Amino acid sequence: MRMKKTVQSILSKKTFCSFVIIFTLSIGAYGQTPLKGNVIDDATGEPLSGVSIQVKQGKESTYTNSKGEFVLTTAQPLPVELKINHIGYKPVEITVNDNNHVTVALEEAVNNLNEVVVAALGITREKKSLGYATQKVKGDELTASKETNIVNALAGRIAGVRTTNSQGDMGSARIVIRGETSIAGNNQPLFVIDGVPVDNSQLTAPNVGGGQSRDFKNAIADLNPEDIASLNVLKGPNAAALYGSRAAHGVVLITTKSGKNKQGLGITANIGLTLANVATLTDFQDVFGQGENGEFSYVDGKGGGVNDGADESWGPKLDGRLIPQFHSNGVPVPFVAHPNNVKDFFETGITNDYGVAIAGSDEKYDFRLGANHQKQTGTVPNTEVNKTNLTLHSDYQIHKRIKVGANANYIVTDAPNLPGGSYGQRAAGVMLQFLWFGRQVDMAELKKDYTRNWNNSYYSNPYWRAYYNTTSQDRNRFIGDVHFDISIAEGLNFKFRSGTDYYNDRRKYKIKTGTNGTPDGSYTEDAYTISESNTEALLSYTKKLADDISFDILGGFNVRNNSYANNYQRAPKLAAPDLFTLSNSKDPLESSNYYSRLRVYSGFASAQVGYKDYAYLNLTGRNDISSTLPAQNRSYFYPSITGSIILSQLLGLQGGVLDYAKIRGGWAEVGNDAEPYQLATVYNIQTAFDGNPIQTSSKTKNNPDIKAEKTKSTEIGFEAALFGNRASIDIALYNANSIDQILKVQTSAASGYDYQLINAGKINNKGIEIQLGVVPVKTSKFKWNLDLNYAVNRSKVVELDKEGLLQRYVIGAPSVQIVAAVGEKYGAIFGTAYKRDAQGNIIVDNNGRPKAAAENTILGYYTPEWAGAISNTFTYKRISLSALIDASIGGSIYSGSAQTGYYAGVYPGTLPGRDAEHGGLTFTDANGKTRDDGIIFDGVKEDGSKNTTILSAEDYYKSSYSINEAYIYDASYVKLREIALSYSFSKKTIKKIGLEGLTLSAIVRNVAFLYRTAKHIDPEAALNTSNGAQGYEVLSLPTTRSFGFNVNIKF
Amino acid sequence: MRNIILIFVALAAFSCTDQLNEINANPNATEKPQAAYLLTGVEKQGADLYWGTYYNLSSTLLFVQHWARIQYPEPDRYEFSNTSAELTTLWNTGYATLVTDLNTIIAFPNEEANSNYKGIAQILRSWVFLLLTDTYGDIPYSEVGKTLVPKYDKQQDVYTGLLDELSQAAALLDASNGSISGDVIYKGDVAKWGKLAHSLRLRIALRIADRDDNLAKQTIASLNVADLIASNDETFQFTFGSSPQHNPQSAHFDTRDDYRISKTIVDKLITLNDPRLPVYAQLPSDTSVYIGAGNGLSNSAAQNQGLSKTSLPGAYFLQPNAPAVIYSYSEVLFNLAEAVARTYISGNAEDYYKQAITASLNQFKITNATDINTYLAQPSVQYDAANYKRAIGEQKWIALFGQGPEAFTELRRLDYPQLTAGPASVLEGKIPVRFFYPGTEQSLNKDNHAAAVASQGVDLLTTKLWFDVN
Repeated sequence: MRMKKTVQSILSKKTFCSFVIIFTLSIGAYGQTPLKGNVIDDATGEPLSGVSIQVKQGKESTYTNSKGEFVLTTAQPLPVELKINHIGYKPVEITVNDNNHVTVALEEAVNNLNEVVVAALGITREKKSLGYATQKVKGDELTASKETNIVNALAGRIAGVRTTNSQGDMGSARIVIRGETSIAGNNQPLFVIDGVPVDNSQLTAPNVGGGQSRDFKNAIADLNPEDIASLNVLKGPNAAALYGSRAAHGVVLITTKSGKNKQGLGITANIGLTLANVATLTDFQDVFGQGENGEFSYVDGKGGGVNDGADESWGPKLDGRLIPQFHSNGVPVPFVAHPNNVKDFFETGITNDYGVAIAGSDEKYDFRLGANHQKQTGTVPNTEVNKTNLTLHSDYQIHKRIKVGANANYIVTDAPNLPGGSYGQRAAGVMLQFLWFGRQVDMAELKKDYTRNWNNSYYSNPYWRAYYNTTSQDRNRFIGDVHFDISIAEGLNFKFRSGTDYYNDRRKYKIKTGTNGTPDGSYTEDAYTISESNTEALLSYTKKLADDISFDILGGFNVRNNSYANNYQRAPKLAAPDLFTLSNSKDPLESSNYYSRLRVYSGFASAQVGYKDYAYLNLTGRNDISSTLPAQNRSYFYPSITGSIILSQLLGLQGGVLDYAKIRGGWAEVGNDAEPYQLATVYNIQTAFDGNPIQTSSKTKNNPDIKAEKTKSTEIGFEAALFGNRASIDIALYNANSIDQILKVQTSAASGYDYQLINAGKINNKGIEIQLGVVPVKTSKFKWNLDLNYAVNRSKVVELDKEGLLQRYVIGAPSVQIVAAVGEKYGAIFGTAYKRDAQGNIIVDNNGRPKAAAENTILGYYTPEWAGAISNTFTYKRISLSALIDASIGGSIYSGSAQTGYYAGVYPGTLPGRDAEHGGLTFTDANGKTRDDGIIFDGVKEDGSKNTTILSAEDYYKSSYSINEAYIYDASYVKLREIALSYSFSKKTIKKIGLEGLTLSAIVRNVAFLYRTAKHIDPEAALNTSNGAQGYEVLSLPTTRSFGFNVNIKF
Repeated sequence: MRNIILIFVALAAFSCTDQLNEINANPNATEKPQAAYLLTGVEKQGADLYWGTYYNLSSTLLFVQHWARIQYPEPDRYEFSNTSAELTTLWNTGYATLVTDLNTIIAFPNEEANSNYKGIAQILRSWVFLLLTDTYGDIPYSEVGKTLVPKYDKQQDVYTGLLDELSQAAALLDASNGSISGDVIYKGDVAKWGKLAHSLRLRIALRIADRDDNLAKQTIASLNVADLIASNDETFQFTFGSSPQHNPQSAHFDTRDDYRISKTIVDKLITLNDPRLPVYAQLPSDTSVYIGAGNGLSNSAAQNQGLSKTSLPGAYFLQPNAPAVIYSYSEVLFNLAEAVARTYISGNAEDYYKQAITASLNQFKITNATDINTYLAQPSVQYDAANYKRAIGEQKWIALFGQGPEAFTELRRLDYPQLTAGPASVLEGKIPVRFFYPGTEQSLNKDNHAAAVASQGVDLLTTKLWFDVN
């Protein structure tokens, strides 16, 4: 009955949805000529089921089965012309000359009118009906990158998505969509895997030194890209409002591979090898060695000799003069350069991947079982991460109206040792020791004997630290759900899903007895248990009201429970040497624990009304009740309204160059609750003193009247496809205001608290995103795809508190402050500047050193002016070659590495003026010594006269150490992110050896910088994934360049 | 649509309020403070601050040249920024921990804290405010804890306010008002707290003496000497425990080797044949004479002095349970000597001066009467009525060894001994006379900070404070 109406309405549109017409017309066909064949996806070779096959001249038609096969009998004589249609694919017509099996490969359509996308709550919607921007990345693009952290694999792929990574290739990565919409929140999108929201936090225990010494991966890095079928990004509140509280920062929807439409045995095997080496290691100077004032001689490495406690390179020239060194037992040996000493420390990182997946399906069931093991050794010696992923994806049609299923992912991460990060300090930091360094140090001599060292004042031998001072991580994670769908009646469906994400994460920190700075050694255990569960029921109804009007409504209910537990224990001094147990502690154990949980009840509903298949209106509403808010403010509601009009259809513009044109727009609001326990002000307990309990202020004044914060977003967009889908464009403009932000504002300590919780603050983000896809060349054998994306986001902090008392909110203060300042862009870098006169000249003091301005100023912003990417893919027959270039232009970064590198005299930039040969001035120093390393700081005295005081080069390069401005760099870069080459063997060839598919691929990641001004670092780097650690780099590990090779076999 | 959704969630809303409240009850900390616990916390954390790495070791102890840095001598050259922990810790801990916890005690209803708790809290709070104003100058005082952006009170008003507060606090104390627990310094002896209150009034009166002679005189004249700290047993000091609750100076040397005793004080002690030298300093491992390290040297010059060729601070100071002396009997006596010298009270200044030195020697376990008298008899040690500031200044400076914050303030006020900034120091030959306001104040309390700077002078280490006349 319903079908008939549909047919009638479509018939009136003639050209539209022809496959449905065909379906209808085929009823009752009979025939004489038997035809058979199968249909596959041109790109993947996967079989396609449900494809419509229609005889052009006649009435007969059929669909492919779950294996992509069809059999059709027609009354028409040979040759027969077949029309083949499938949603999301370009229609094809073929001529069949005989009764032999035919294989038809369908090509995916770009911006096809009927493309189906996954929208909020996993609902599938025709893309044309959406009133907001979404962008999809296919699983194979993610797997091709061979990145071990999936966030890094997204770099440059999606307009408006910004990623930064922190530490080498074993660390964390951050993703932000459309700028920071929350002043204090984490700003990263919600990740949802097959309908189950999952955790992506980067866990570090607060207030524990050891907790920060490694840059632990963000939790979503647990995923194995091989399991991902597609990834869809909902870019803002408009798209994601139904996800509720956490949608303000967007949602990344991940669909894992299922067993549907498998051919052959359904076994896929994958073997990958990736080699990585350090790519962004800074250059060093190799003219002067360790010491101070041009003098050095080693006795004990801690001040016993001449400047041998100095961890700086202001010593003698590396001209082969004879000086006792750490490895020479007091014997003078040639003082010469070892230009590659730091580089030699790093190794080639090796990642091995072995994966196998078995998939199968029939009319009633489908399943996919995948197993993957990845072993990664890092560029820092003795670092290793092992990850095993087991996944099961299954559905079973238990009854014609009921489908049940379960998905499970079990992930075991076992890292015996992770590289020391910026905060590894003297016991574990890697780059710390190489930027505070003696340039003459022979790394090979250090490698021979870990107990000797070039400097004993501050450090232990770098190999000692790498091999003895280790940090391990063990993480066991389960992500899974059970679900069932009931088709109650025509158009009326009920869905239920209960899913969970649960993991334990345990870290063990060992510092060996005898380590400089920690002479007794220490042992720390830091353990976390994290869980989130969601149970959701959803009732939906689809109905054609009249010929021209269709509607979909749904309503649902969700209960979310989150819990967090941390248990930290530390033996600060080991009693018996090198026995790493908590009970082997000389001092009382330091311990802390923290538990939190929250629950949110949500009810939501949405309605979509379609008119004549060219105008759509979507309404959504959601009401949350959160445990984190006070009873009176606990329940909060937020709506959205979006719509789209298919202009090409409405105005009859199709045909000619224009295939498709659509405008869309909408307004949405998303509410967000607080963190647990932000209502009542509490007092902390400290270790009792002499039996007397200690209680003290938590220094945070909470707020019992907190209400939900809101983000309101307006978005409009335009999409078009031209020249037979050879060109497509998607433009989005958005304007989002986040108000009533729940801010734990840093306040003057004199207010009584370091932090107070307020419910104010407003931040505006507006921006433009453009995606462009072009196929400039296309022949039967060769195809060139060119994709561009471009995004600009402008943020502005409008207000912090309602009274206007607060002008700056400190997001983070690693050493410079990262602030949100009223009237400024988010993420301002705020710190000390040079003191300057009215003309901008730097003012120097009587000693000829630059003065710092008394007032701190904004030195830059970490947010870029714009970001974009160009991807080119060339396909010739079965060979595909692609290149991705991405750019981030504008924005600044503070480099703590540079601050150290200049101070310690290891940078090439410290060579000018260091002796006469390098342009140094001759002068007499305070001790009456004549020297040739004089430099005059370019500035003026307080009286305005030109500075003429000569500083020694050492004093000169150290003189700006406490002036943050000196170490601010332009963070712009253009990266050749990726070059990938792959070859898929033809089915015909490999069938002979019993295979269904064979693909070989090779990839290079982080190939080269095409442009950057901060030459000594990767300007994409950040300290970690928190808001306040962006725009700030200190002693970060170099980024790696990786070379990956992969073999994918299907049986 | 809203209504539809509300129906969906209404049931949950009604049935779950209690449950949600329970879920949001914080299991990690208590909402209920207790006076005794807060008091222990303030005493412990106050001592950690006053005797700690930042406020003492790497700032004031270097400024007064009691100690010197032999490694990483940047702080010894006064290379600080307004975010340096050395200069911000007093502010942050002083206000957000100490003053706030003490305000909590003061605000308790009487059932939860008797008036003795409140009197002690007010005395301790006055001590914290005194440290803050001595160090920064104009500070938030009258509006602390009352607004997000408290105004800065003038230093004069702070001192005057504290004199009043201490009188009020002393009046709250009476053994009959109830017992005190959690007091790890005076073990609940409120009489001793009363003596501390009056002794602090004496200290503050002298602070303002060069500016407000009348109030100083009036205050000190009203004091009864018998109400002051009257013996070394009554010295206000916090005695630390064992690791990790040990003395911060001791804790620092557990893992680091950055400090030596300053050449300035070693040379002075040698000149004076001072019996405190072996207490204040250790013999270097390579020599049998005491050798101090220079202040304010370049990194290489500092290191080249040799870790094994220079004297560590005395073992007395580096033992885990060494006390954090906050107000010594000896200081009371020096203050009385000065009060006499200023003719605020009658008496014999020289006697007080000698008693003060004797008390100091006793404090460091030098009790042999002959040795003490020999020391006192030296012309170089004798009281100088013509220049009491010199005599008192020098001896007080020696007596306050290790107690950087007080030594720093008295050095600025008395102007003796006259120290010279280290050769590589960066303040054009000057020694700091205050701390920067924390850089965060520029962000978080912008207008009030600006007003304070406009009133007091540029926010520099060399801007003199109101009390510091010369």
